[in-house]
Amino acid sequence: MAPLDSQLTSNLFSIGAERLALLGKHHKALMQGYLDGQVDETAFSEGALKKLIAARILWRPDEQQPLALRPLVSELIASMVADENRRQINADVAEKLEQIRNRVQAYRDAQYKGDYSVAELQLQRLTEHVHDLSGQFEEAIDSLWHRLNSDFGFVSSLDDKIRENERAQKQLRRLLDGLDLLDFNELIELSEGNNHLRKLLVSQLQNQLSSHHSSLLEVQKRLVQLLAKFRQQQARSMLIANMAAFLRQHPKYQPADYPNRSELPSLFNQAAAIRPQAAIALDKASERAVLAELVRALPRPSSIELPEQHSASFAELLADEEITARQQALKTDVENFYLRVIDQGGKLSALDYLAQQQLSWDSEIWLYQILAEYQALPVEEKQMFAIRREEAPASAVNQLLLIRDIQIALKAS
Amino acid sequence: MLQHGPLLERLLAGDFICQISDEDAFRHLGNEQTQQEINHYLRPLNRRLVSNDDGSVFYLGYHELTKEAREHLSSQFALTVQSLLPLLEWLQLVQETLGRDSALTAGDTIKLQEFVLRTEDNQSLRQRLNALASDRFFNSQSEQLDSQVKLIFRRLKEHGYLLQPHSERQYYIVTGKIDHLLDVIRFIRDEEQLPVDDTPSQEALL
Repeated sequence: MAPLDSQLTSNLFSIGAERLALLGKHHKALMQGYLDGQVDETAFSEGALKKLIAARILWRPDEQQPLALRPLVSELIASMVADENRRQINADVAEKLEQIRNRVQAYRDAQYKGDYSVAELQLQRLTEHVHDLSGQFEEAIDSLWHRLNSDFGFVSSLDDKIRENERAQKQLRRLLDGLDLLDFNELIELSEGNNHLRKLLVSQLQNQLSSHHSSLLEVQKRLVQLLAKFRQQQARSMLIANMAAFLRQHPKYQPADYPNRSELPSLFNQAAAIRPQAAIALDKASERAVLAELVRALPRPSSIELPEQHSASFAELLADEEITARQQALKTDVENFYLRVIDQGGKLSALDYLAQQQLSWDSEIWLYQILAEYQALPVEEKQMFAIRREEAPASAVNQLLLIRDIQIALKAS
Repeated sequence: MLQHGPLLERLLAGDFICQISDEDAFRHLGNEQTQQEINHYLRPLNRRLVSNDDGSVFYLGYHELTKEAREHLSSQFALTVQSLLPLLEWLQLVQETLGRDSALTAGDTIKLQEFVLRTEDNQSLRQRLNALASDRFFNSQSEQLDSQVKLIFRRLKEHGYLLQPHSERQYYIVTGKIDHLLDVIRFIRDEEQLPVDDTPSQEALL
């Protein structure tokens, strides 16, 4: 039996290795097939296609359908790249338990017969099954955590996230139900009187499963929390969208006058702001030094030096006798002008008077002095005269008006 | 009380204190003893500490509703009602522009530049932003997208809905005051029995 066995094993080995190599050889086209959901047949030679189909890597689900990856291969890839959209969770515990029971029986039978090499082989298989069972939970838990930690980021809309979360919770319940199927009393019975079995089925498996159990409970708690958060977000988005739509439809909408209700909702009780102000106080002698320091630290306003202006030269206060005399003469002439206005009774143009009297004053200075004299009159006397300026814009580009002439008239009192 | 001086000043100035706007102060305000102390201090000023239902944000309200207090509250309420639509539209616009799958909540970060970039190339978003910026709540006179967005965010910062951690860096964090806004909306909806749903209909679930 042994040579046959080894021949079978070597046969399995060569076929398996060859077929695994196929995966590697066509890795890009197969991965593209995984992403597209179907395989581009033109990317392979006919021989390669045949080999891939024979190796149960590719299959044609239906006569009319294009070639695709077999589900098991897709699952393998999904698990390798943690693609939560496609990753499968296997919560089937009953089948595994059945296999474990059978292997234990076969192992005991072989031992009983004294066929130690067979017993060794059965123990090996049994160990694999136990690891598979544990690994199945580990894979599921890994996938659940991965989805949780990415906030279900592999789907885009909030609705999808809620659906994915609910799906994950269902998977989780199936996994917990599966764990409940494991009866440790039964496993203890199975391993009775055998150290190997006890170690494998009781201490090791029990340890692993109890840690899986607590992981699953933690994941469950977090999933429920996250679902509540998703639902809250969904409610918020809807409230915002629907309220905005309502207000847009009813632009004149005015809610009731909550602030004047006898029972004021605390939401609307927002007091007016009070801003505490403080000023320098000099009543504490101990603080004077600090205050003096503050004053010294104030930036000094830099004095702006204006260029000397020479234009309005008559405004300069020069004690020059000649200039004083000329100013006095100007003042007298202006006074005469006002007297003429009073004598004449009608309106009188300042520039006409200047020309008429053949006075030598510059017209601008003349007008300026007339205005100055008018402004200097006491209020009652000012009211006796009506003053009218003839103005013209200085240029088209701004609002500046230039005084051309002034007309003074005596008002009928 | 001495240690709460800066906090009192912020509260008196009308600031909303939440976990985002001032984490330490917010933690202190969660303590019942501190709340009592603060209320005791505020009593002569006719102020008291108020929080929203889920305690995510604190602010000051009047202790006694005097005539002056009612007058202030009335005018403030009018402003709040006026600001509802522009704020809601802004929330929607940000959510859509940034391609988020949920509405903004306290703690969310918005990068101004990202917002501008995404609006720039999209005519319909651009138009909506334009309309929003010229709303009297934001009152922008500019035609430039960049300055419109900056003004909108600055106004929201002034109103306490956004926090700008670094004045020279253009990113903003949504504060807990947004919760208060949504509470106000929910309250009005419930009180006035407005036809405004916030739970998906059975059809949407299926």
